[in-house]
Amino acid sequence: MDYPKEWPESLKNIIDKAYKTNKFTDIRNALKLVKGQLSANNEKKINIGILRTYTIETLIDCLQLSLSAIPCRVNITLGGLDSIEQDLFDKESSFLQSSLEVIVILWRIEDLLPKLVWEVDSMSLKERRDSYNMLIERIKRIVEQYDEDAPLIVSTFFVPDYWKNSLNDKHRGYGIIEIVYKVNLFLYRYATLGKIRIFDVSQWLGSVGNSALNEKMNFFARQPFDPAYGLSFADSFTKVIRPLLLTQSKVLAIDLDNTLWGGVLGEDGIENLNIGKDYPGSVYWRIQQTLISLKNRGVLLVLLSKNNITDVTKAFDSLIMPLKLSDFIKLKVNWELKYKNLKEVAEELGLGVDSFVFLDDQKFEQGEMKALLPDVKTISNSGDPLNILESIVNSYYFDSFSIEKEDLSRNKDYKNQINRKKLEDTLDREGFLYSLELKANIESVSSVNLQRVIQMILKTNQFNLTTRRHSSSTVNKLISTKGSILITISLRDKFGDQGVVGLCIAVKDDTCDGGLIVDTFLMSCRALSRGAEDVLWCALMKYSSNKGYKILRAEYIETNKNMQVSDFYSRMGMELENDKNATQYILDVTKEINFPSWIDVSFAEE
Amino acid sequence: MENNKEKLYNVVSEILGVKKSDINEKSSQDNIENWDSLAIVNMVTELERAFDVQFDILEIVEFYSIEIIRLILIEKGVKL
Repeated sequence: MDYPKEWPESLKNIIDKAYKTNKFTDIRNALKLVKGQLSANNEKKINIGILRTYTIETLIDCLQLSLSAIPCRVNITLGGLDSIEQDLFDKESSFLQSSLEVIVILWRIEDLLPKLVWEVDSMSLKERRDSYNMLIERIKRIVEQYDEDAPLIVSTFFVPDYWKNSLNDKHRGYGIIEIVYKVNLFLYRYATLGKIRIFDVSQWLGSVGNSALNEKMNFFARQPFDPAYGLSFADSFTKVIRPLLLTQSKVLAIDLDNTLWGGVLGEDGIENLNIGKDYPGSVYWRIQQTLISLKNRGVLLVLLSKNNITDVTKAFDSLIMPLKLSDFIKLKVNWELKYKNLKEVAEELGLGVDSFVFLDDQKFEQGEMKALLPDVKTISNSGDPLNILESIVNSYYFDSFSIEKEDLSRNKDYKNQINRKKLEDTLDREGFLYSLELKANIESVSSVNLQRVIQMILKTNQFNLTTRRHSSSTVNKLISTKGSILITISLRDKFGDQGVVGLCIAVKDDTCDGGLIVDTFLMSCRALSRGAEDVLWCALMKYSSNKGYKILRAEYIETNKNMQVSDFYSRMGMELENDKNATQYILDVTKEINFPSWIDVSFAEE
Repeated sequence: MENNKEKLYNVVSEILGVKKSDINEKSSQDNIENWDSLAIVNMVTELERAFDVQFDILEIVEFYSIEIIRLILIEKGVKL
């Protein structure tokens, strides 16, 4: 298990013990200490609301403990048993009053369709089908009607323990098992539309086994899960919550010998390396395939190997294997310490070392990285190839709900970035900017680019003036609010198309006639220092004067990651507001607007 | 056996969030506020593990005082 690096060893041991024993007292004890640690570190807070058709009260400590390691301070609000719609759609419900940031629905087939589950043998095919349709209609109503800001996470259904061994049920149309699977497919489809996120309780049960179901507790307290599986359940829950709070890592830096193939190139020679279709080479083959699929999802791969580059090139040329040297965005094959190489790569790519994940089979390399670059996430493993494979597959650093166009082109994009750097070194600043042949397109936020907009809202930390993490329903509301301005910028130059790289949201200032307030202004870090942020700002000026605004207000909200933009508003010519605190700015928007001359700007619509 | 009694009182006091010295033969749902069905679920799980026994569903329904829990445990061969 991974813990925040600031946590003391003693605390980690106490949590490990709780995970080992699953005992009430050990869990409660660990939770108490963790809570102390979280408030000492002043970690972010999150309010999670859970609606459910069954009892989970005894699992709350487990959920709290598991979620704490994200790290965050969790507050869980439970809805009443079986009151999903009442709690969700009654705006006055005490459930909705708790300013929830995530809403989760946990449900079971036997609670929603008790007649079907317990009297199925007296029902005709038509009646069973009607029950199914009724449930689908109910789910549809919930998902379509849902309009809260908080993302909606919905659990999958699982086959009741009672029915899992029934032969007959599997051979009739619209049996219980068939209905459970059909409903789950329906949920997955909603998930692909981005309407809900899935908490796959059914898959979790499949992996831990039905012994996690405790019929005694179910009858006595309507609690389906055995408390001994509480932490396992909680970890599976945490996996769905984590991507909402953490930014995804971007780069995987990988060792070569005994990580991508079996054996040591310099000692064993190319012909004795293990990589191929037979064990153990087959495990390394699968590791390489896993890395390629990470790359295809937008993760940048960097090779960190203590070897001679000529040997490595020769090996990649002559061995048949999934990975090619060209799959790596950077090769650091030399005899330097790995942390130094990693730091260099980070600088070359213009990324913080905290976007890096490090994978190496050797304990001392793992330890050295942890000690010298603690912000890098090191994937712990024993060095055994199967363990390396599992540790990559199970690590959550690259978890995300959806993959956008910008993820898919990231590899190409950073290659272009490296080429841009080369060009920059040969020209003066102005010559360089003109030679890029930059083209920017300003476009309003709409359903077409909404997913990308949300992704940027959740992921952008550095060039983000306010770091407001809006949900898609908030953004939708802002789109339809009269007088608001929501625009994106996409950027293209002679090296390639970067897609949507910046966002600005401004809303009407109700306290001031003709006033507008900047709600959000952010740029992806790979688009910086070429003037794109100035273009987006000028576009905001242009749109606001077109809409008749006269005064623009803005606020800089400091976080521990956005220091680089602390002077952005004053660079854009804004004045500090006198009698307010030092982060509020004001500007007369009727001033002349000067777009950067080296960028060709177009507007998709106005 | 003092050890088992200790064990029983430990589990019950920690789950109910009261001092061990406040637990005695007469402790029950009537005089301890937190002794709800939730606490019972936790007690059942923890006592099953602590004493390596299984309670059946009819026994759980009776988990409303130390005296009865003790009797049920004795029936299962626990020396108390």
